[in-house]
Amino acid sequence: MNSNIQGIQMKDLPLIGPVYQFLGPDVFVAVVGLLLILGFVQINALALIWVERKVAGHIQLRPGPMEVGPHGLLQTLADGIKLMGKELITPQMADKPLYWLAPIIIFIPALVCFVIIPFSPLLQVRDLNVGILLIFSVSSLSVLSILMGGWASNNKYSLIGAARSVAQIIAYEIPLLLSTMSVIIMCNSFKMSEIIAAQKPVWFIVFQPIAAIIFLIGATAETNRAPFDLPEAESELVAGFHTEYTGMRFALFFLAEYSNMFITAAMAVTLFFGGWQGPLLPPLVWFMIKCYTLIFGVIWVRWTFPRLRFDQLMNFAWKILIPAALLNLLITAVVLKAV
Amino acid sequence: MESSQTFKKFIQEILFGAKSLVIGLWITIKRMPQRIVTVQYPRQKLTMFPNFRGHIEAIRFADNGSHHCVACGLCARICPSHVIKVQGEKRKASDHKRGTLYYIDFTKCSLCGLCVDICPEKTLTFSREYELAYRSRWEGVVDIMKRLEESK
Repeated sequence: MNSNIQGIQMKDLPLIGPVYQFLGPDVFVAVVGLLLILGFVQINALALIWVERKVAGHIQLRPGPMEVGPHGLLQTLADGIKLMGKELITPQMADKPLYWLAPIIIFIPALVCFVIIPFSPLLQVRDLNVGILLIFSVSSLSVLSILMGGWASNNKYSLIGAARSVAQIIAYEIPLLLSTMSVIIMCNSFKMSEIIAAQKPVWFIVFQPIAAIIFLIGATAETNRAPFDLPEAESELVAGFHTEYTGMRFALFFLAEYSNMFITAAMAVTLFFGGWQGPLLPPLVWFMIKCYTLIFGVIWVRWTFPRLRFDQLMNFAWKILIPAALLNLLITAVVLKAV
Repeated sequence: MESSQTFKKFIQEILFGAKSLVIGLWITIKRMPQRIVTVQYPRQKLTMFPNFRGHIEAIRFADNGSHHCVACGLCARICPSHVIKVQGEKRKASDHKRGTLYYIDFTKCSLCGLCVDICPEKTLTFSREYELAYRSRWEGVVDIMKRLEESK
């Protein structure tokens, strides 16, 4: 949201005009942006959970949710209302402040990262010049929250899930960052708008296919999605770090998971698939199409592959992904210097 | 030489794994547009197989258009859970005894099938009823004679 362009129109609007003048451009953008983000996070999660269940159903030759609304469209809404009505149980031996804080903290990175995401040239709350870095630094907070939740629950499954999560997310953050860096040194900027502008002629996936693959694998692992869903492995750890969470607290973990999915997809789109650029359709539509195509891919992968064993997971990160990402970064640097 | 071969093997393993992953993805995406195979239960219902064991019921015979139960009570006696109750009556002195009331408390039945095996008139069989959710224990008590009347 560019305040200068929109500011001229804003003052003339009947209802929003006085609010805009009272708050000033910066605060106004922050407030409106936050409201839009909060709304979008909810709708995105509701839609994605429905899509996930539908895709899972059809892959397994069953229809998925069908009862509430046409083709089960309102099923997630009904589930949300049910979760809101549930009792918030705190285990007796839990570390109460930490237990209370964890679901709130996991939601912060999910919200903050949306600030940077460029939905379209205008629809971006803040175009920071350290955009990518901010996403990486804030999203690593979610590990803290998972660890807090797992530790504070005072439950063996939660603790094992949290320990796995920390090891996994730290391991996969390295290839994720390295693969991003090879894009960054190609366009010399951390700024989302400049990264997208650099892909005007050709998408970066053409120059950086290996980096893109590594990024997508790392992003799947970062969001704790199958086949890297060891922190919440249902069949071995009940529900992993959120075993003890009920009601809206559990819903917050769930909401954060689907928001993180969207954020990583949006990052992949910005870094490798040309952002909001595309012919004919408006930029917002292009961005959404690309994002949800990637998210569909992630869901598709989840319902295809079995979960990795923990040593396989670690070996894959340290023995394959990190060397490949380093090599890719090196080659990129050498080629850029030579050209 | 040794290390170069292990490295070659390592790369081959990665390529083979990547190929198998793509094949797996192809298999699942092919399933997506296919027809649904699950039965949408409340709207679609299956009839059970002949071998299915529901609660017992009386067979309708063609010769008298009804059951052949003589109320001998063998089924009630052999039942290990004592869930069967049979009553019969004799209309005339020259007549055979005929079963008029037959109850089975299906909530305690263990489906051993001894009643079906022992029946001298071979008038008992297993029904193919599978919607056996009840709101009270009394609903689990099946009136077999009534069932036979209603099934006409």
